[in-house]
Amino acid sequence: MATLLTSANLTALVGRALSQQYRVVGPRRDGELTLLAPLAAAEQLNLGVLMARNSIKEFFFPRCELLFHYTLGRGGVALREPADFPRTLIVGSRACDAASLERLDRLFGWDYRDSFYFKRREASTVVTVVCDRCDEACFCSSVGLDPRSAAGSDVLLVPLAAGGTYRVAAVTAKGEALLAEWADLFTAGEPGPERVAAPPVRFDQARAREFLADNFEHPLWQEQFRACLGCGTCTYLCPVCHCFDIVDEGSLAGGARLKNWDSCQFALFTRHTSGHNPRPGQDARWRQRLRHKFLYYPDRFGAAACVGCGRCERACPVGIGIREPLQALAGGAESVGGARRD
Amino acid sequence: MIDQLRQRARELLETGQAAVVIGYGERAGDGRPVPLFVTQPAETARLVFTPACVDNLARYLTRKDVQALGRPALVATPPTIKAVAVLVQENQLAADGLVLIGVCCEAPGTAGTACALLAGATLAELEAEVAGRLRGQELTEAALARVAALEAQSADERWAFWEAEFARCIRCYACRQACPLCYCEQCIVEKNQPQWVPSSPHPLGNTLFHFYRAFHLAGRCVLCDACAEACPMDIPLGLLNRKLAREVRDNFAYEAGYDHTAPPAMASYRSSDQEAFIR
Repeated sequence: MATLLTSANLTALVGRALSQQYRVVGPRRDGELTLLAPLAAAEQLNLGVLMARNSIKEFFFPRCELLFHYTLGRGGVALREPADFPRTLIVGSRACDAASLERLDRLFGWDYRDSFYFKRREASTVVTVVCDRCDEACFCSSVGLDPRSAAGSDVLLVPLAAGGTYRVAAVTAKGEALLAEWADLFTAGEPGPERVAAPPVRFDQARAREFLADNFEHPLWQEQFRACLGCGTCTYLCPVCHCFDIVDEGSLAGGARLKNWDSCQFALFTRHTSGHNPRPGQDARWRQRLRHKFLYYPDRFGAAACVGCGRCERACPVGIGIREPLQALAGGAESVGGARRD
Repeated sequence: MIDQLRQRARELLETGQAAVVIGYGERAGDGRPVPLFVTQPAETARLVFTPACVDNLARYLTRKDVQALGRPALVATPPTIKAVAVLVQENQLAADGLVLIGVCCEAPGTAGTACALLAGATLAELEAEVAGRLRGQELTEAALARVAALEAQSADERWAFWEAEFARCIRCYACRQACPLCYCEQCIVEKNQPQWVPSSPHPLGNTLFHFYRAFHLAGRCVLCDACAEACPMDIPLGLLNRKLAREVRDNFAYEAGYDHTAPPAMASYRSSDQEAFIR
């Protein structure tokens, strides 16, 4: 016996949450794209694509975050901090998205606790829909995850082969609370076979790490990444990338301090005020990106800063992504030249 | 055609006429076209050319790390050739240092359509071939239909349209990085003393960035759509560029990319230039 939820009741659940002033975030059609965005109506929820172009990262670590407003006057400086962390229900994240939250928790709670990030985490319930499809760009199974991974999720919905119904698993106390709040929408029943698709393992993460640790200097860095344009697409769509820039916008009278996404792939990311740039080319920037995700982050936090979602590859204007480079260097130093040819 | 392309590339490398051939290769796994830098004659076998090869490779000619490889030979589609023409006009490239392998296909982006090498070898010859194919085709009524539809709307409606489009902008700068004519070593958005353009991805910052960029490309953009293709958020950037290209054509009888010897429209004055705006 298991807890089941029909697609119709999932839509109803979203409708109820909206009517109770939850902010409900889910994949939503926007022209040709599907994007994770706040829903205005339950009918907007679109679970018919593999995943949205963007990730759920921006609902915890916003693209442009207000840290405080300031006004300057005779009395000195007055600060006004944001108070708005709306109760949020995320419906339709994937296991890779949710797993990124667990990885970001480690960073944002490390040497300085980012209170805004954690307020958003506390205010959010994550309902993950397990993947019934995958594509060439997916590689969650190569980084220790799979479509059923529960990390970061509060509820898992597993699609049944019969169609139109999910088997429901509450992962956390928050998940249990959600099931209890709208208990009448859930039924008990025999689940039957499930429809879950996982990508094949595409590379050995340990071998990739070994290559990264041993090959700070290697012709691959120039050769493999010469085509890279140095834009921020991969880093911004990545659910785990978390670099940021803090800027003040305003005048002497008042303004705001903002925290914006930043990218290690931008040419000026590491430029010093002296004018010296320790990472002057795309080769050095890619080396850093891969070492950060697959060497430094696992060494410090116990997991790669990559969940294998494949967004970087799908959106890269020149088709690079992270999967192919990792396959090349996990093939070992000897096979680096030959690995690109299939 | 592909054999001829590879043979030409091979000859250029073997005779030392080029140190690197910049063309298209195929990504391992799914064969998606990717930019390829070939320095060894044997590797020319990896070059491909299909209707899916639409990235504007002229982008790489102004990159210092690519220039460091030595004299490039460029596999150049018509939009790429146009971009090279503008780069020469703007003194970013020397016309006589260029080795171009002109290529084209019947319908770029549509699988299965025929591809061929262009006959020309010099930039001037290739410009003439490209003009024969494209001039007069790019800013037709049909091509500008969406621009015209927007222009027919009220200012509020147009503002609402662009506000919605720019709300998706994440300031990844894929548009700028993919554009062959955005070659500034430090973009205006990267200057913060003062901060001319907010770097923040909020509505004001995004709108200003895209308007600035469109204006900086007026009279220069070759309508290759590298920006629109690169945008991960499907923002229809080509609409802004086409509108401004039409303004330049209509006001100054000038279209970018067809003649590398012509003075650039925005950097030169003719007595026939209309001055109606100051009457």
